[in-house]
This record gives sequence, structure tokens and C-alpha cells, in this order.
Amino acid sequence: MHLTQELEVYSDHKVTQLLFKDVKNAAELRQSAVEGKISGALISPTLVLNPFQVLVAANKAVHLQKIGKMKTRSLFSEIIFNLSPTNNISEAFKRFGISDGDSSVLVVLVHNKGNTPPLSDIVSRVNGQQVPVDDLSSLSDTAKIKKFFKITPQEEKIGTLLDAVVCRMAIKDVL
Amino acid sequence: MLLSFLVDTSRCRSLHNRLRETSLRKAEVNMSVERSMEVSQLLAKAELLKQGAEARLYRTRFLGKPVIVKERFSKRYRHPALDEKLTHRRTVQELRAILRCRKAGIPAPAVYFVDHSTHCIFLEEIVDSCTVRDHIASTQQQPRGPEQLERLAEKIGQMLAQMHDEDLIHGDLTTSNMLLKHTVDGAESQLLLIDFGLSYISALAEDKGVDLYVLEKAFLSTHPNTEVLFERLLRSYTKASKKSEPVIKKLDEVRLRGRKRSMVG
Repeated sequence: MHLTQELEVYSDHKVTQLLFKDVKNAAELRQSAVEGKISGALISPTLVLNPFQVLVAANKAVHLQKIGKMKTRSLFSEIIFNLSPTNNISEAFKRFGISDGDSSVLVVLVHNKGNTPPLSDIVSRVNGQQVPVDDLSSLSDTAKIKKFFKITPQEEKIGTLLDAVVCRMAIKDVL
Repeated sequence: MLLSFLVDTSRCRSLHNRLRETSLRKAEVNMSVERSMEVSQLLAKAELLKQGAEARLYRTRFLGKPVIVKERFSKRYRHPALDEKLTHRRTVQELRAILRCRKAGIPAPAVYFVDHSTHCIFLEEIVDSCTVRDHIASTQQQPRGPEQLERLAEKIGQMLAQMHDEDLIHGDLTTSNMLLKHTVDGAESQLLLIDFGLSYISALAEDKGVDLYVLEKAFLSTHPNTEVLFERLLRSYTKASKKSEPVIKKLDEVRLRGRKRSMVG
């Protein structure tokens, strides 16, 4: 169900994603993440097109943590911030973090190669149905993504929507 | 009066010195920022594709996708602070130009990751592609080559017109900086622009004229007997661009005097 991938640049790190739908306790989950009981990023899947997008954000977060240049306080908040095309931190949390009323959630964990992530703990905390991470596209809203990332029709003709989104995420700090 | 003037200049000087000190200190701080060891390690294992005067190109994989990494290395002959600043500036310029192109619908490789500490850009690898330079060289020999190349020249002209209409100057237009991607159906191949390291934003006809002049020089010197072909390219540029008239006029001017503006008078 979950998806674990290696960050090729930081080969000792792995990223695991878990996707849940029909979630009933989003407020509770958010609270436990704030209190640090869940050490992972809780992401609202509406504006997330593909697991690759999360991977790019996680890679950038690990990178910035290593060189000591994170813009937010923790690795997990940095992942959420990196998903956004703007440099506005509170807006990024509002759009990409989970809100109390959300019915689906994407949990992102970052762990060392040797360690196994606390998957069962996460699954037991979420009151919802776990689905394969590849179902992400069915939970995301393409029209909203195009609008929020300001993707022009001309740009869609020359490449994929995913490339357009990832490009903005990667370049945003120098715009 | 005189005294106050003296006091003023000395204050000025001390301020100037202080500014210099702080800027130097800042530069030191900047340099002491940790460089990403992991990126360097990755590149050490990657396949080196090309080395230019300013950057090295590597081929590797990034998060499961084939990528090209463009690493701008430091120049030892420059003052470290200046070198850092220039290299950073060029990386940023390149990134902005790529995004501007893509937004306008001009194909350019997507950016996946940027490491500002080692000045590396991770770009989408354009698989199954060749440079326009190689394509022209190989097609020229073929019996039906000229016809095909005429169509290609028209496409290049249209693409450049579109780029200049966005006020983007490429700065290093050559046939090696254009790629042809073979599509699956094999009928129409996609034309892409690469290497935006010297590009900048300008609405001046002068800059656009020089951009075309640079291409003309490169085009005619790498591909012998292609004057007619380049003529075709310019004609399609003129037709496609909304602001082509002053640009072509400038191009004629630049041809007479060369790329650099005369500083006499």
C-alpha cells in the first residue's frame, strides 16, 4: 500500500508515502502532528498530482536541512512549504497541509535507510481507509492545480503538467 | 568651511571602509556555508558528458528519472567573493529564462532540483534527441535533405520570434544549443532550446538583432553553403514576430559593425 523510495542524492535517506481516504479524524491528526506525536508531514492531496512531486519536495527539504538553510522550523514543515509555488509560508501550510475538515490525507515520512518507519503506528492513528499511493491522481484536482500554480495553456502543450508543477517548485526561491 | 569639508571626506572614507569590511565579511560567511557533499559525491559517480568554459554536464538519475546535471564550477583566477556572486547570478538567470520560456510555450527542459551551494541545476534529460547542428550536418548529404531542412529553418525562425516577442534574449544562439526530439510517431520532431546561461530580459531591438547576428555567424560558419537556408529562417522570423521590423533593421546595422557597439564619438 505504502510507497518507499530512495532519495538518489541523499542515498542514506528514504521517503515513505501513505495515502488515506474517507478520513474522519483530520483535526485530531493535525493536532498530534503539531504536538510531535506523528513525526511525518500530513499533506492534503488536493493539489498534489503525483508522488514524484512529494519526492522532489522531500529531497529539497533534506538538502536544505543538510546545508542549514531551511526556511521553516522542521523537516516536515519544510516538505509542505516546498510543495508550494510561492514563498509564502502560511499560505503553503493552508493549501498543502491538512485542514480539520479534510477527508483525505497523504502522510510523508523521512527515515534512514536501515530503519523501518513506524507504519503501523501511523495506520492505527488514522481513522480512514488506506489506499495505494498511486491513487493520488484520483484525489487531486487538476483544475485547481492549474489555477494555483498558474500554468498557462501554452505550457501544457510543450510538456506534462507534472513537469510544469515541479519546475515551479524547484525555481521558486529565485523568482 | 574647509574643515567641515575635511571632516566630511574622512567620515565618508571611514564609512566606505566599513562598508567594504562588512561586505567582505559577508562574503566570508557566504563561503563558509556548508556545501552539499552529497551532490558532489553523486557527480563523482555520474557520467561526464561535456565540459565547457563555464560548466560541466553530467548524466545521472534523480528520483527515478534520467537527468542532466549542469554544474557551474568555480574559477580559481577570480576573487572568491566575486566568483561566488557571478556564478550564482548566472545560475539564477538561467533558471528564470527556462521558466519564462516554458510559460510562453517555448519548449525547454524542465528543472527538477537546484543546489545553490554547489551551483548545480538538475534538468530533465531529453531522451532520443540530437542537436540541430548534427541533424543539419547529416541531412545536408541526403538527396531529400534540403527540403527537410527548409522546414526546420522555418520552425527555428518561428520559435525565435516567439522567444523575442517575450523579450527574452538567449545570448548564445547556436545550432548546438537547439535540440530535436524524435517523437514516438516519428512524423514531427519537437524543437527545444537549451543553455540559457547567458540569457537576459530585454525589449530592445538592438539586443534581439545581436542575438540573431550571433546565430547567423554561428550558423554560417558551422554549416557551409547554408546562406539560403538562413535566409529562410530570417524570413519565417519576420513573418512570425510582431516586432520584427526594427529587429531586422538592427540586424543589418550590426552586420556592418559587428556585435560590439562602436564607442567612438
